[in-house]
Amino acid sequence: MLRVLTLFLGLLLAVPAFAQSSLYDALAEQTAGLKKPSSKTIETVISSLQDSGAPGVADFLTKLQSKEVWYRKSDDKFFFVATDDKKTYRLIDIQSGEVVAEVAKKEIKQIKPNSGVRAKIDGALVAFRLTDADPAVRDAALVGISRDPKAKDLAPLSAALASETDPDLKARMERLSRVLTVSFGDTTEARVAAIASFDGDLGLDARAVLNPLVTTTLKAAPEVGAGENVAKTLRLGNDISEEDAFDLLVASGLAQAEPTKGDIKAALKANIIGDTVGGMNVANLGTDEARLAAHMALAASGAVPAILTSEDKAALLASAAYYEVYAEADPAVTAAAVEALSSISTAVGVSQFIDLVLDGISLASIYFLAAIGLAITFGVMRVINMAHGEFIMMGAYTGYVVQQIIPNYTVSLIVAIPAAFVITFAAGVAMERLVIRHLYHRPLETLLATFGISIALQQIAKNIFGTQARPLTSPGWLDGALVFNDVIAISWIRIAIFVLAVIFFLGLLFVLNRTRLGLETRAVTQNPRMAAAMGINPDRINMLTFGLGSGIAGIAGIAIGLFAKVTSELGSDYIVQSFMTVVVGGVGNIFGTLAGATMIGFLQKGIEWFNPSNTLAAQTYMIIFIIIFIQFRPRGIIALKGRAAGD
Amino acid sequence: MNGLLTKFLLKNPSVLVFLGALALFTAFVSVGSEAFGWGFISTSFVKTLGKTLCFCLIAIAMDLVWGYCGILSLGHFAFFGLGGYMLGMWLMYARTEIIVQTAMSNEVIPPTDQEVIDAIGTQIFGVVGGSDFPMIWAFAHLFWVQLALVVLVPGILALVFGWLAFRSRVTGVYLSILTQAMTLALSLYLFQNDSGLRGNNGLSGLQNLPGLDDVSQDIVSMWFFWASAFALGLSYLLVKLITESKLGNIVRGIRDDEARVRFLGYNVEGYKLFVFVLTAIIAGIAGALYYPQAGIINPAEIAPIASIYLAVWVAIGGRGRIYGAVIGAAFVSLLSTWFTGGQAPDIPLGIYTIKWVDWWLVLLGLSFVIVTLYFPKGIGGLFDRLVRKGDA
Amino acid sequence: MKKFLLASAVSAVAATAAQADIKVGVLHSLSGTMAISETTLKDTMLMLIDQQNAKGGINGEMLEAVVVDPASDWPLFAEKARELLTVHEVDVIFGNWTSVSRKSVLPVIEELNGLLFYPVQYEGEESSKNVFYTGAAPNQQAIPATDYYLEELGVEKFALLGTDYVYPRTTNKILEQYLKDKGIAAEDIFVNYTPFGHSDWSKIVADVVALGADGKKVGVISTINGDANIGFYKELAAAGISADDIPVVAFSVGEEELAGLDTTNLVGHLAAWNYFQSAEGEANADFIDTWKDTMGAERVTNDPMEAHYIGFNMWVNAVKEAGTTDVDAVRSAMYGQEFPNLTGGTAVMLPNHHLAKPVLIGEIQEDGQFDIISQTAEVPGDAWTDFLPESAVLKSDWKDLGCGMFNTETETCVQIKSNY
Repeated sequence: MLRVLTLFLGLLLAVPAFAQSSLYDALAEQTAGLKKPSSKTIETVISSLQDSGAPGVADFLTKLQSKEVWYRKSDDKFFFVATDDKKTYRLIDIQSGEVVAEVAKKEIKQIKPNSGVRAKIDGALVAFRLTDADPAVRDAALVGISRDPKAKDLAPLSAALASETDPDLKARMERLSRVLTVSFGDTTEARVAAIASFDGDLGLDARAVLNPLVTTTLKAAPEVGAGENVAKTLRLGNDISEEDAFDLLVASGLAQAEPTKGDIKAALKANIIGDTVGGMNVANLGTDEARLAAHMALAASGAVPAILTSEDKAALLASAAYYEVYAEADPAVTAAAVEALSSISTAVGVSQFIDLVLDGISLASIYFLAAIGLAITFGVMRVINMAHGEFIMMGAYTGYVVQQIIPNYTVSLIVAIPAAFVITFAAGVAMERLVIRHLYHRPLETLLATFGISIALQQIAKNIFGTQARPLTSPGWLDGALVFNDVIAISWIRIAIFVLAVIFFLGLLFVLNRTRLGLETRAVTQNPRMAAAMGINPDRINMLTFGLGSGIAGIAGIAIGLFAKVTSELGSDYIVQSFMTVVVGGVGNIFGTLAGATMIGFLQKGIEWFNPSNTLAAQTYMIIFIIIFIQFRPRGIIALKGRAAGD
Repeated sequence: MNGLLTKFLLKNPSVLVFLGALALFTAFVSVGSEAFGWGFISTSFVKTLGKTLCFCLIAIAMDLVWGYCGILSLGHFAFFGLGGYMLGMWLMYARTEIIVQTAMSNEVIPPTDQEVIDAIGTQIFGVVGGSDFPMIWAFAHLFWVQLALVVLVPGILALVFGWLAFRSRVTGVYLSILTQAMTLALSLYLFQNDSGLRGNNGLSGLQNLPGLDDVSQDIVSMWFFWASAFALGLSYLLVKLITESKLGNIVRGIRDDEARVRFLGYNVEGYKLFVFVLTAIIAGIAGALYYPQAGIINPAEIAPIASIYLAVWVAIGGRGRIYGAVIGAAFVSLLSTWFTGGQAPDIPLGIYTIKWVDWWLVLLGLSFVIVTLYFPKGIGGLFDRLVRKGDA
Repeated sequence: MKKFLLASAVSAVAATAAQADIKVGVLHSLSGTMAISETTLKDTMLMLIDQQNAKGGINGEMLEAVVVDPASDWPLFAEKARELLTVHEVDVIFGNWTSVSRKSVLPVIEELNGLLFYPVQYEGEESSKNVFYTGAAPNQQAIPATDYYLEELGVEKFALLGTDYVYPRTTNKILEQYLKDKGIAAEDIFVNYTPFGHSDWSKIVADVVALGADGKKVGVISTINGDANIGFYKELAAAGISADDIPVVAFSVGEEELAGLDTTNLVGHLAAWNYFQSAEGEANADFIDTWKDTMGAERVTNDPMEAHYIGFNMWVNAVKEAGTTDVDAVRSAMYGQEFPNLTGGTAVMLPNHHLAKPVLIGEIQEDGQFDIISQTAEVPGDAWTDFLPESAVLKSDWKDLGCGMFNTETETCVQIKSNY
C-alpha cells in the first residue's frame, strides 16, 4: 500500500514534466464529452485527442470502446479499472498502467459508449489499425470501414493493401478499396472502372454503394436546372398524375396548397358573425356543398383566400417541368451504375428465388418431421392421436432436461435423441395398451380420449416445467448459417432438420417395406383377422407400430425445440397442421406425407412471398386452400387404390 | 298445431320435465337475483349462469349433429363466435354513435354525415390503429339486419362448407379434421388486425346496451338470463320435435349406416346438410346471447380447442339424449369455473400441495378418458340406468 | 346440481360480509398463456402487501390481498373484476397485462367506480377515470428509443416487426408517422406482422438483411411478443447479424423473457424500458434482495414489477393522505403523488393518470441482464399521442377538466367513459 502511495505521489510529481503532450490534459479538456459519450459529439472529442499528439490516445480509445474506462466521481479523473470480486475496484493509471488505488464501486462510474460511439471510434482508429501486426486488429479495421465508409479511408487502405501479406485479408482489402473507389474515387474513369468490376456481383456491400448513386428525387421547376443529372423527364398526365404534380408544386413552393375540408371548416368557424357565416345560417352547414358555398361567399368578400379555379390550376400545372434527378452529378458514373445494377438485379432475383425454395424445403421438412409420426399412427393404423403433439413436446422437454444434466451441448444432443425416442416410445406403448386398444372400432372416440390425454399431458408439463419457455440450445457446430452469397443463406440447424427428415423418410420406407415388422404392420392394418390367422400377433404389432410413431415424434420434438422454443404448447402449435399434412398428402403411405408436407411448406412460403407484410394472412389462406383442396381430392395427393384404401 | 304439440308433449313426458325444471330454475334465479329478488345470487353469478345456459344451448346443437347424425363437428364454436360478432357489431356501433353524436352536438357548425361516420370509425378502430370502416360494417347501424345476420352468417357458412364436404363424401375423422381446420382458419383470419373486426382485441363493452346506460347491469344481466333460458327451452322443444319425428329416424339411420340409408333412396347429403345448417344457426343464436353477457368477443374464443371442449361436454353428459348435453355443458363448465376460480380447497399432501388451479385440467383430461372408455353413455347413461331400475 | 349452485351462491354471500380491513384485489392470470408473465406480478403484489403490513398497514388498518385467477381468458377478466368489486368489495385492484384484458375490464370498473392500477407498457390512446397507468405510454418507450436510433446510431431505414395485435399495431402507426415527420421516406419503413408464437423467421430475417442493399443503415424496432421472440432471436443469431450492423431494439423483451434464451449471440442488441434490474441504487438493491429472498435466488426483476412497486406505494400514500379508501377521495389524492423510482429520480402521478418516469435503453449482455447505456430525464406519460392527427387534438386531464378525452380544438369533452 505504501509503495502504491509513493508511486502515486511520484506520478503526480512527474506530471508537470511533460505537460504539453500529456494524455491527462488532453482528456481533461474533453471531460464532459467523455463522461457521457454521444455519437453526435464523440468525433470532435476524438479529433481533439488525436490532435493533442499525446501518447497512448489510441490505446485509451480502444479501452474506451471495450467499456474498460471509468471515472472517479470526486475529481472526474479517468482510469482503467480491474476487479476480481466486484466489490473493490483497482484503479489503473491510463498512462503508466500501474495500479494507483483501490476503491469501492460507488466512488467510480463506468463509461458506457453505445454502439454508435463505438463505430465512430472504429472509424477514427482505421489508420492505426490497418497496419497493426495482429491480423485480428486489421480485420476489425476492415469491418469498421465497411460499416461506415469514408473518403479519408481510401488512402490508408490503398497503402495497407500494398503491404498486406494475409491472402484472405488482402482480398477483402482489395474489394473494400473498390467499394470505396465507387463513391470516393478521384477520377470518373477510376469510379466507372470500379463500378464495372461489380457487374453481376451479389455482395450487399456492392449494392449498398451502387444504389445510392442511382437514387433520384422528383422535382418540379419552371425549367430543368443547369448541371442537373436528369434521370427522366415526366409528362403530365402520363407519367405523373395531376394531383401528384400539384402536390409537388406545393412542396416546391410554386403553388399554394388547396384548403382541406378541415381547413374550410376552420375558416368558416373563424368568420362566424352572429348566426351566419358568408351569408348562410350556421345551422345549415351540415353538408360539404353548403360549406363550400359559404366559403366561396367569404372568398368573394375577401375574408379568406379564394380556392383555385380549375383553369387557373391547369395553367399552373402546365407552367412547370417535372423530372427525376440523380443525387450523383456525374452522368458517366450514373450510367455505369445503372448498367451494373441491372445485371445485379437479375442475379439477385434468381438468388432470391433459390432462397425462397430453400425456405420452402426447410419449412416442408419441419412439417414433415412433425407429421411423420402421425403418418404411421393415423396413416397406417387409422388411429387419431390428438396427443401426438404432446409426444413432440415430451421429446423437446427431454432434450431440455438432458441438457441440464449434461452441460456439453454436443454430448447432450447425442444422449437426448435416443432418450427422447425411448421415453416417447414407452409413453406411446403405454397409451396404446391402456386406452387406444379398447377403441379400435370407435375411431371418433379415440379422437376424444386422446384429446383428454393431450390436455392432461400439457397441463402436467406446465406444472412441472412452468409456462415459461425453456432453452434448448444447439451445439456450436450448428450455430450460424451456410452462406452461398449475400442473398442465399440457410442456417445449419435447418439443414440438420432437413437431413433428419430425409433419414426418417428413408428409414421408415425401409422399415415398412423391407423388414418383417413392416410386413406384419401392413398385414395387420389391411386385415387383422387374416394376419392373426397367419400367425401374426396383431396386439404386439399394433403396440410396436404405435410406439414407433410416438418415438419418432419424440425425436422430432428435439429438432423443433432446437429451432424454435420449448413450451408446453409446442405440440398443440403443430397438431392441426400435422393432421392436414397427412390428410392432404394421402393417408396410408409415407410418400403421401412427404407430398403433403412439401405442398404445404411451399404453398405457405409462396403466399408469404406475395404478401410479405402479413404472415398471419399466409396461414389463413393456406388452410382455406387445404379445405378446398380436400373437397376435390378427398383422398389426398397420393391416394391408395383398391383394398388398401379401406375405410 | 296446438293439438299436435299437446300430443307430442304427452308422448314425451321428459320434455315437460325438462321445461318444468328450466322454468323452476329460472324462477329461482329471478327470486335470488339482486335486481328482482332477495339478492343472494350476485350479479356476476347471474351472468355466469346465463352464459352457462348459452353453453347448454350450443351443446344441444352439438348433440343433434353428433349424437343423432354422427357428424363429429370440431368447429361449431366458429358459428357460435360468428353469431356473437354479428350482434356485437351493432352493439358497438350503436353505442359509439350515441357517444359521438352527443359530443358533436356541442359544435358550432353542425357535422356532416361523413364527419359523424368518420368519428365513429376513429372511436371504434382508433383502438387498434385504424379509422376507416371496412365493408363488413355496412349494416352495423341497422339492428334488424345485424340480428338477421346472427342467423344468416353462420347458416350460410355451414351451408357452403357442408355442401362442399358432404358432396365429396368426406366423412368420419376426415370431416372432424376439416371442421377443425375451418374454425382454425376463421380464428386466424379474425386474429388479423386487418380483418375489420378489430383483430385480437375483438369487440368489447358489449354488456352496455346502446341507449340504456341508466339501466343497471343487475337488471340487464337478468334480461339476458331470461332470454337465454327462453332460447334454451325453445330449442330443446324444437330439437326434440325433430328427433322424435320421421326425420329424426332417418337422421339416426344415417348415423348408424349411411350407405344403407342411401340405398333406401334417401338423399343422405340433404339430410346431413339440413342438420348441419340448423345446428349452426342454433350455435349462432347461442353466441349472440352469450357475448353480451361476457362483455367481449375476440378470436381466441373460436380457437379449435373451444369446439373440442364442446364435444367433451356432450360426451360427458351423454350423447344422443339432448338433456345429457345440457347436463354435460352445465356440469363441466360450472365445475371448471369453480376449480379455476380458486374457490376449490387445496389438498395438502405433506410433501406436495395439490392446487386445483394447476391440476383441474389434468383431472378433466383423465376423467374424459375414463368416460370414453368405461361410460360411453356419459352422465345421461347413469340417469337411464336409474330410471330403468325404478321401472323394474 | 341445484344444490351446487345454491352452495356457490351462498359462499359468495358469506364472502360479502367481510371484515373491515382494507382489501386489495389482485387480478392477474395464474393459469393459461399469460400466467408466465402475470404470476410474477401477483407475487410482487403479495410481497408489497406483506411489507406494508409489516410496517403496520395503512392508518392502522391491515391490508388483505384478494387473489383471483382470470386464467388468461379475456371475458373472464370482466367477470372476475365484477366479482372483486361487488362480492369481495375490494378497495383497489392491481392487475391485467394484455391490452385486450384491460379493455375487457374497463366497462366493469367504470360502471362500478372501481380503481385499477395497470402496470404494463401499452399503446396509449385511452384514458379512464378509474385506471392509473403505471407502465409506459408510447412516448415513454417507443419514441425515445426511436430518437436513440436516429441520433445515436444513425439508423436511416427502419424495420418495424411486431406480433399482430393492438399494441404493435398502434405503436407502429405512431412510429411510422413520427419517422415520416423526421424525414424518413415511406419506402424506408418496412412493416411486418406475425402471429402469436410465430416460429419460422428465416424469410423475415432475410428480408430485413436485404433492406441494407441501398446503403442505408438498417435498424429493427421489435414489438414481437412473448415466445415468438425466441425463434426470432435464434434466427438472428444464426444469420450472424451483429448488433453493430443491424441493431434490434425490443419493447417487450425484458429480463424474464431472456431467461428462455442463450444470449451469447445476442450481446449488444437493445431493449427500452423504464426499469432494468441492473440499475444502480440502494432502493433497487433492496428491492431485488427482498424479491430474491421471497422467491428464490434465480428469479429476476423487471419493468412491470417496478410499475406495481411505484403504483402500490403511491396508492398507500394517497390513502394515508385522504384518510379513507373511498375511490374518489383516493383518486384526488393521487394527483401529484411523488415516489422515488428504483432507477433514481422521482416518479410523479400526472392528472392524465400516467407517470412521469425516465426512459432507459439497455444492451443485452451475456448473462441475460441489460447494460444501461442511456437514461433520459423523467418523461411525462402522454395518454393521447401527439404524432397522430386525430389524437393530437385530444387531451386527458381528470384533475381540472374532469375529462379523459378532451378535444382541445372544439374545447369539448368527447366522452367521459373511456373507449373500449
